[in-house]
Amino acid sequence: MTESQETTSRLLRGVHRTLTGLHPAFESVLAAIVGLLMGALVMWLWGYDPIVAYKSMLLGAFANKWGLADSGAIAAPLVLTALTFSICLRAGMFNIGAEGQLIMGGLATVSVGFFALPPGLHHIVALTFAMIAGGLWSIGPALLKLTRGVHEVISTIMFNWIAHFLSIFLIGTLLINSLSADQTIAVPASAIFSKLVRGTDLTYAIFVAIAFALIVYFVLWHTAIGYEVRAAGLNPSAARYGGIRTKRTMFLAFLLGGLSAGLGATMILMGSSSTHAMYRLHGQLRNIGFDGMAVAMVGRNHPIGILFSAMFFGGLSAGGRLMQLSSSPVPVQMVRLVMGVIVFTMAVPELAKIFPSIKEQTVTLGQGLKRLVTSSRGRRST
Amino acid sequence: MSEAPASGNVDGYYLRAENITKIYSDGTVAVRDVTMELHSSEIVGLLGENGAGKTTLTKILSGLLPPTKGRVISPRGRIRFTSPREALDFGIGMVHQHFALVGTFTAAENVALSHEHPFARIRLARARERLETLMEESGLHVPLDVPIEKLAVGEQQRVEILKVLSRDVDLLILDEPTSVLTPLEVDELFVLLRRLRDAGKSIILITHKLKEVQSVTDRIVVLRHGELVGDVVTVEATTEHLAKLMVGDVLEQEAGAVELSNEEFPVCRDRHAVDRTTDSVLHVESLSSRGNTGEVAVDDVSFDVYGGEIFGIAGVEGNGQSELVECLTGLRMPFEGTATIKGTNILGKDPRQIYRLGVAHIPEDRWELGLVLPFTLAENAILGVHRWEEFRGPLGFLRWGKINHHVRSLMDRFEIRATGPNAPAKSLSGGNQQKLIVGRELAKDPSIIVASQPTRGLDIGAAKYIRDLLVEMRGAGRAILLVSADLDEVLALSDRVAIMYEGEFMTVCPPENLNRERVGLLMGGVTEKEPVS
Amino acid sequence: MILALIGFTLRAMVPITMTAVGEVIGETAGLFNIGLEGILLVSAFAGALGAAAVGPIGGLAIGMGVGALISLLFAVVSTYWKGTQMVAGIGINLLAIGFVEFGMIRFSSNAGAFSIPEQSQLFRFITPFGLLSPVIIIAVVLPFIIYWALKRTRVGLILKAAGEAPEAADVSGINVNVVRLLAATVGGALAGLGGAYMSVAWFGFVTKGMSAGRGFIALATVVFSGLNPILALAGGLLFGFFRSLGLWVDTIPGFPIPAEFLQMLPYVVTLLVVSGAIGRVRFPKALGTPYKRE
Repeated sequence: MTESQETTSRLLRGVHRTLTGLHPAFESVLAAIVGLLMGALVMWLWGYDPIVAYKSMLLGAFANKWGLADSGAIAAPLVLTALTFSICLRAGMFNIGAEGQLIMGGLATVSVGFFALPPGLHHIVALTFAMIAGGLWSIGPALLKLTRGVHEVISTIMFNWIAHFLSIFLIGTLLINSLSADQTIAVPASAIFSKLVRGTDLTYAIFVAIAFALIVYFVLWHTAIGYEVRAAGLNPSAARYGGIRTKRTMFLAFLLGGLSAGLGATMILMGSSSTHAMYRLHGQLRNIGFDGMAVAMVGRNHPIGILFSAMFFGGLSAGGRLMQLSSSPVPVQMVRLVMGVIVFTMAVPELAKIFPSIKEQTVTLGQGLKRLVTSSRGRRST
Repeated sequence: MSEAPASGNVDGYYLRAENITKIYSDGTVAVRDVTMELHSSEIVGLLGENGAGKTTLTKILSGLLPPTKGRVISPRGRIRFTSPREALDFGIGMVHQHFALVGTFTAAENVALSHEHPFARIRLARARERLETLMEESGLHVPLDVPIEKLAVGEQQRVEILKVLSRDVDLLILDEPTSVLTPLEVDELFVLLRRLRDAGKSIILITHKLKEVQSVTDRIVVLRHGELVGDVVTVEATTEHLAKLMVGDVLEQEAGAVELSNEEFPVCRDRHAVDRTTDSVLHVESLSSRGNTGEVAVDDVSFDVYGGEIFGIAGVEGNGQSELVECLTGLRMPFEGTATIKGTNILGKDPRQIYRLGVAHIPEDRWELGLVLPFTLAENAILGVHRWEEFRGPLGFLRWGKINHHVRSLMDRFEIRATGPNAPAKSLSGGNQQKLIVGRELAKDPSIIVASQPTRGLDIGAAKYIRDLLVEMRGAGRAILLVSADLDEVLALSDRVAIMYEGEFMTVCPPENLNRERVGLLMGGVTEKEPVS
Repeated sequence: MILALIGFTLRAMVPITMTAVGEVIGETAGLFNIGLEGILLVSAFAGALGAAAVGPIGGLAIGMGVGALISLLFAVVSTYWKGTQMVAGIGINLLAIGFVEFGMIRFSSNAGAFSIPEQSQLFRFITPFGLLSPVIIIAVVLPFIIYWALKRTRVGLILKAAGEAPEAADVSGINVNVVRLLAATVGGALAGLGGAYMSVAWFGFVTKGMSAGRGFIALATVVFSGLNPILALAGGLLFGFFRSLGLWVDTIPGFPIPAEFLQMLPYVVTLLVVSGAIGRVRFPKALGTPYKRE
């Protein structure tokens, strides 16, 4: 085989493998399409023009540097809460506690306002505090599950609400801002991330999110402990047979998930927020935990997929703001509705079977590529 | 061989299946163009290996599965069953291999489930009455008010049969009914079947056991790879002929070499004298353990396994074999006794530590224990050894390069057919999956191999491969503990055999000292006064 | 004082009990729906709109219908489409939040709440315990009826079989998927009633955060009840009691414990109860898994 034929066939084989490997991503795209269509339907029923709405949404989200930046700013905390859900899901559990863990992380973040440190060090301390707080808050449900077998869905929800009320109390007392009774003290300037793109909400904080996602990827797929976590999640009996201590993996997964959620709070408080403080009614931190779950599922619970998926949802939200100002002023809450439909659609595992023609086409595409590969190899013999 | 009664109403037929074909959604052809007839007052054996299509065919006949092509007709006209209930109403009842009983219900409640109008108050009293009359008629007895899950397997099967009989069926289908019975219970079952046949019923007996099918049936239908390859009158068929039909020409060579009178595998007659003067590899003393239900499952068991020997444990499943293996492989903690590998204690340790001591474990359930099916071959190949130095670098990073290389050599050595180390384990056939597990375990260079049901569910070719491998390991001086419900397998391969019943070893001796009758009695719990050798 | 406490307990118990009993039916048949929170919210909203439009009974009925419909959809996804029940449930919750927020903006001048005019709310009895709704009677009586039905009729057997051993049920001629659909619909209707009650017969308005975790508390109650409807009633009363305790104590001036901690109380108690109860209860073997016949 000649040089060029070798490389072509290797290239084609790589593309083929990627396409088949992307099959799960394909389902996410389908679900997203279904969600957007449902959204269009609701818009139309409610008297709005879906095409104008979506067009302005798209423009607002991705058309220019500022749209992209705003999308990214919204995406950053979502990446982290999505990782919370996904890490635990890979370990075989449902951690719905990102909301509460995020709040605790937020409280810890603003608390660094009590002392002064040089920038850089202050950043690190804030990030660490946030992670520890989030981690500690997820240990509770983990221990309850391991010792008493309490279903983590219920315990994490309860912890969410406890965190909710606890934080209201603390915001009104310990952490209160002397100038404004509704706010906490703010994260000091020495612990804030500076803007990446002027005029937008995007700060350098996003690099922390990306880095964390990559770290999670490496840990889960390239270390022994990550292997153990995944094995225990897929087949606890076989994991035990393999000498894996499933209790330990569960605990570690929860801990890591909590760390992630805590970190999520820093994305806002040290990054995109304008006041860098928490409010009595939580405003900017609300729903990030739940939205993170949607991001996780669409991202197929894989760190890389989550990065893309978060960008998608960030785009929806950022674009949604612009959509509100367009001639078809759909309220931005539509976005969450679309997200709900997408998640619900993702619950159906064999989506591709329901749209068989589309699947057929991808398969034939794959086969076509395969034929190209084999024929390019066969050319040698003639 | 059964005494041939006036079998079958050959002029009319009870049921006729015409050109039945079944293709599953993933493309597998389970049944291919099968045509057969069933008559009343007849016991038909449906013979074939795993995957021959027997269960699928009978599910189609009993209405649980629609055929892709073909039809089932009766003298009353063409029948198409769209639900199990219709089949039951028509008179066809199936007793499954894995009982279709609700565990938490009692026998009476299980029977009540199939009767009566949805909103009626359960007349449990009536259900009990009906059951009691049935028990008288059929000679089957079960406790009526105990939740099914607390009954012994043999009793559960009887409830299952009663449930079907209570619907007044004309055709009774039994799927591998004897795999969970002692020889005594098997005889009782066959007596019942003959009685039902004489009362006019049709019976289909699905099995892969040659001797059984010859002893109780009137006619034998043989399936192979979904096709009907034989429909013979039992008294006219020889065992060898049946075996050949079952297995086919692909393995004809091996089928020829197989001595079917005694075993279906290579004979290992050359048992060299095992050196028992040195220390044993595995030493077990007075081991006792509880099972999952809290009762004693392993009862004061003691034995040794030496290098270069295969120590077999025979017995009907459920007599403590699984629990014993679990105790020795770190999956269960006994409450009494000792067990050591070359002097080091193994009780209470976790599997990883036990593997390091030189133990390999081929588990009895490859899907539940042996493999993580969604994982790739490579990921499965390091299960249990993923922390060993050759696979794990500093900081805990996995050395995928080395791991892939290792998997490739396993694939080579053990002829594992797959698309590559990154193929998901669930895409492999049963035989290849088992080879992966065996390869992985042997790669640990173990002193002792604990093999639990190593050939279960495998076709003849794969089973033979595994057995050859075990014999080879024995020749290389390793110790092997073989636990198998396949009596022929244990007797053929082992140097010494222990028969386990209700947690105890009934006897330990070389297989030559055992004949079928003695084994049957021991497996059935009949103690004897002979000394243990 | 005690009277007021009892009154509030009774009022607060209804959404929890109704939802819990509905979920007991569903879980007995093998469906685990964590979307209850969303169902409560949506039916509260739908009920409010319905009441404003066609009066209180209509509002309650609409709420029930909405609840039944959502549960039915969830059941279809979980049975015929072999979906993952957890994910579908989470999807419902997200959908509900979005839908209700969106709807609020559309239908009310105030983006946070929607009030039902006085005459469109359900009447209440004036009792020594305060204003009590007739729905409370339903909520107290229904668990006993359901308990009897589950234990003594063939319907109960069928439900249990579908949840415990679907293969056995199938062979006995029971269509497992249909059974689960029906169970979910009934359960959803009950949850819908609980939700609509909140807006139409209790508070008189609906806010976007109204469910306040009640759906999840109902789930916890189901665990606590071991799938026994009468114990679910007990659980609901327990929750109502602690909720009212917190509010009552808040009215005492100078009480040392801050209000927020008292508001935490129901959730903490739920946690404790669930942690304590787990060893004793046993769930249907097929809970959470779709049934495939092959």
